Amino acid sequence: MTGPEARVTSQDRPDAPPDPESGSPLWKPAADTGSHTGRRGASGAETAPDAQGEVLVKVTDLVKHFPIRGGLLGISRLGAVRAVDGVSFDVRRGETLGLGGESGCGKTTLGKVILRLLPPTSGDVSIKDRPIFGLSGSKMKAVREDMQVVFQDPYASLNPRMTVGEIVGEGPLVHGLKNRVKREELVRELLGKVGLNQSHIHRYPHEFSGGQRQRIGIARALALNPDFIVCDEPVSALDVSIQSQVLNLLDDLQRELGLTYLFIAHNLAVVEHISDRVGVMYLGKIVELADVDTLYRDARHPYTVALLSAVPEPDPRRRRKRLVLRGDVPSPVNPPSGCRFHTRCWLREQLGNPENCVTDEPELRTISPGQQAACHWSEKITPEGVQSAAEHQPPVALAEAAAD
Amino acid sequence: MDRTEPVDRPIGTTTVAGGRDAEDEVDLIPIRTYWQLARQRFIQHRLAVIALFTLLVLVSIAIVVPTFTGLEYRLTDLTERNAGPTLTAPLGHDELGVNLFVRLAKATQTSLIIGGAAVMIIVGIGTFVGSIAGYAGGWVDNLLMRLVDIVLSLPVLFIILMIVSFFGGGDVRVIIIAIGITGWTLAARLIRAEFLALRGADFVQAAKALGAGHRRIITRHILPSAMAPLVVAAALGVADSVVTEAALSFLGFGISATEASLGTMLNKFSIYFYSAPERILYPSLVLVLIVLSASFLGDGIRDALDPRQRIASK
Amino acid sequence: MTTPQAGQLLELRDLRTHFYTQDGTVRAVDGVTFEIRDGQTLGVVGESGCGKSITAMSVLRLIERPGRVVGGQVLLRGKDLMEYSDTEMRDVRGNQISMIFQEPMTSLNPVYTCGDQIAEAVELHEAVNRRQAWARAVEMLAQVGIPEPARRAKQFPHQMSGGMRQRVMIAMALSTNPELLIADEPTTALDVTIQAQILELMKALRERNKMAIMLITHDLGVIAEMADEVVVMYGGKVMERADAMTIFERPHNPYTKGLLASIPRLGEKRERLEVIQGVVPNPLNLPTGCLFKRRCPYAMPVCDTAPPVRQVAPGHVSRCWLTPAGEPPRIGEDAPPELAEESAQELTVMAR
Repeated sequence: MTGPEARVTSQDRPDAPPDPESGSPLWKPAADTGSHTGRRGASGAETAPDAQGEVLVKVTDLVKHFPIRGGLLGISRLGAVRAVDGVSFDVRRGETLGLGGESGCGKTTLGKVILRLLPPTSGDVSIKDRPIFGLSGSKMKAVREDMQVVFQDPYASLNPRMTVGEIVGEGPLVHGLKNRVKREELVRELLGKVGLNQSHIHRYPHEFSGGQRQRIGIARALALNPDFIVCDEPVSALDVSIQSQVLNLLDDLQRELGLTYLFIAHNLAVVEHISDRVGVMYLGKIVELADVDTLYRDARHPYTVALLSAVPEPDPRRRRKRLVLRGDVPSPVNPPSGCRFHTRCWLREQLGNPENCVTDEPELRTISPGQQAACHWSEKITPEGVQSAAEHQPPVALAEAAAD
Repeated sequence: MDRTEPVDRPIGTTTVAGGRDAEDEVDLIPIRTYWQLARQRFIQHRLAVIALFTLLVLVSIAIVVPTFTGLEYRLTDLTERNAGPTLTAPLGHDELGVNLFVRLAKATQTSLIIGGAAVMIIVGIGTFVGSIAGYAGGWVDNLLMRLVDIVLSLPVLFIILMIVSFFGGGDVRVIIIAIGITGWTLAARLIRAEFLALRGADFVQAAKALGAGHRRIITRHILPSAMAPLVVAAALGVADSVVTEAALSFLGFGISATEASLGTMLNKFSIYFYSAPERILYPSLVLVLIVLSASFLGDGIRDALDPRQRIASK
Repeated sequence: MTTPQAGQLLELRDLRTHFYTQDGTVRAVDGVTFEIRDGQTLGVVGESGCGKSITAMSVLRLIERPGRVVGGQVLLRGKDLMEYSDTEMRDVRGNQISMIFQEPMTSLNPVYTCGDQIAEAVELHEAVNRRQAWARAVEMLAQVGIPEPARRAKQFPHQMSGGMRQRVMIAMALSTNPELLIADEPTTALDVTIQAQILELMKALRERNKMAIMLITHDLGVIAEMADEVVVMYGGKVMERADAMTIFERPHNPYTKGLLASIPRLGEKRERLEVIQGVVPNPLNLPTGCLFKRRCPYAMPVCDTAPPVRQVAPGHVSRCWLTPAGEPPRIGEDAPPELAEESAQELTVMAR
């Protein structure tokens, strides 16, 4: 079992020198595992990768619909929740791609489909140029060494009936490290790496605090020495003071091990802090995708602008008129025609409700180098326009347009 | 405030380094294995401990007394007709001079055997159907759950009566099977609900992401967490089976009248309802004790197996 | 401040709420003192388990076993709520003080329409008939910005989105014109764009109804947006209290500083976040002396003794041994002389 898998994981880095310190799987021959880990640590992770960076994960036109079934045997199809509805992007080796958006925008579903924890409806995901959706069980298992996940809820993501050692050691066990002593050695090393006391290996998750549990979850993800980790809201359930500890840990591990993250979070300040590039999702689509500085300084989609404007800042001096969107997010079962945001769009209103917003679905197009947005009127966004949109909205309490 | 351990450590100047503080909190809890913890939680559950003790007493009586008295439970001795309690017959004798204590012990044995064996069938079928339905979901789930609905809609006692009278009344094995194959629906539903919920749990998803196979996911992750409803289903199953057997025998469709079971005793002594109510009281009491103990014990085990349940400090 | 001053709405004096659990006593609220003036928005901020919600529940006397308010006073316009009878207290709740919670779904009754629930609240507190109450409910829904209020009033909570439900909660809370609204994490369960709507709504209603708000949240952004004055809580105690500008710009207490430094901010890309070391201490095993000392970068030997609550500036108090200037205390002046013996040699800041 060990042989072919090891070859799969190492085929892209035959020239990499063995690096026993880097946390490569201890149970695999050092020469075979290679070391993508650490390679990045010297140079790549320090600076955000440029546009020509090697593509590690490629997502192409990914669609995930959840059918709504009914009828006598629950087989007839009544409709579908269009959770992810045609999403394409690349994740480059060594970078953190942040994914933001409100609840129900499909970001968590997207993460799960990429990991093949949910079957896709259509589209493709490939990691290291290897499409994963067609893979059989054993080949998929090999790919799982390359991609791992850290979940949001540190209470739900750890099996309460397993010890820390069993939880962290499960990946290596499943992938062939049957030797208990070696496995424990590996687990201890991983616990040290995520800042936990190695003597806690025989304890149960419920004995730990939220932040520590999240570290256990991270250690579990690292155990297979993956290249790519999907972090699904990894700090949202944590206290403010603990959040920063975990964010720093993720940062350190990326530097040290050359990891690539897809970082899903609703907190845009957290996304900004951790990410090199950021995608913003709305109703199953990516509406904007740009380098982090560009996106936060000069957003080119009216939804991104509104989202950023809505974040309350911890600075009473910056109290300002916010651009408050009206109504609620429409149902993903029956999304609006054309641009999905047009029902709540402040820009469209400013421009006198142009027709193509309702009729034509905008494609993600390049606005400037390193910035793509899916809006027909991106160029019309100006600081003055945003300002006046914020100021000229009717008092919220008194007039509220129906969203549905 | 009481603590289990003296935990005060020198604080102040030396702890500025922080960081490791987090672990210090964890270190306060002494390391115990899963089973040690489970036992501790169980002992805390006072009713369950009493129930366990009661069941143990009943089981030992049901094992010991019939072993040493052999066929005495059938022995009629007309000289002892309706005799009062003595040292060797603490419950007295019936109208044919049968030692009631011995007969009650034998009856308890029969009922417990039937209850225990039937519950294995119940839990077996229930777990099988429930876990497949819950894990697979979709149309498989739908199909199996409709099957459960159908079984559930049948008049159970009537079906059991039919099976028993068709395959030969009086045979303990037939009774066990009849109770078993009609009684698994609740277990299946409980297990299925648990599987359905756990299938989407983050820790199961994480195991899937690690590359764990279906078998490992089911046996290591889902089943252990589904133990709680399983135990409850088993406890209720035991109680149910014992009661069903009693009902069958009471109606005369159970085991043959010469054999002893709680049901046949109730049946036989129902005519003494006014003249000698204690003859009904004894088997009824045993029946109630079995049913109550089984369900309290089930509760206790369920809580004991849940590591999230806190352990009170002394 | 023994007699209520003009404009003084609510005053908490040394409030203590303890929970008697199997594992020991949790001092969830341990000597909390602050006041709210008419029309003021007071932000209560802290991490989970700091006692901020329990404080609010104690004010309304909603604490249930195994918890109990064991000491202190809650003065509403100078009258101690702790001495009220249950009937009088019911009258206060909803009339003078209303409360909204984090998760509106669990605080709304799923089997009644939203209009029914608001109308019921109105009927309980005002002498109106059913029709008037219903009309009032519809009016309230319109006030909180719910479109088509007459139709929406006939809907059940599950037919509404989270933001809409929170509006219904607010409508219900405001239907009796309370003087004080206690909002416990009112926007935590909501998305940012919806949160912005609700915050704008609360601001508008605050202006119009001239009501005071006690806003409980862990989100410093929401605090900065809404609060006039801020109370920072930790381990059941008030660590620092000042007006919002001071808290954010010149915090004195190391905990407040740490909290402010550890949050990522929009438009401020930092390589590393500052962190507060360690974890929130176990409420069953609080350290002696200062509760924060194990995590505090300024910790010094004197911190083994409970720190004083010092006035740093007018209207700005902080529970810390550091002097108002932020320096270590001098024995005899800033710290009692008896502390000198054990730690005289090194009363220096051990900042790293």
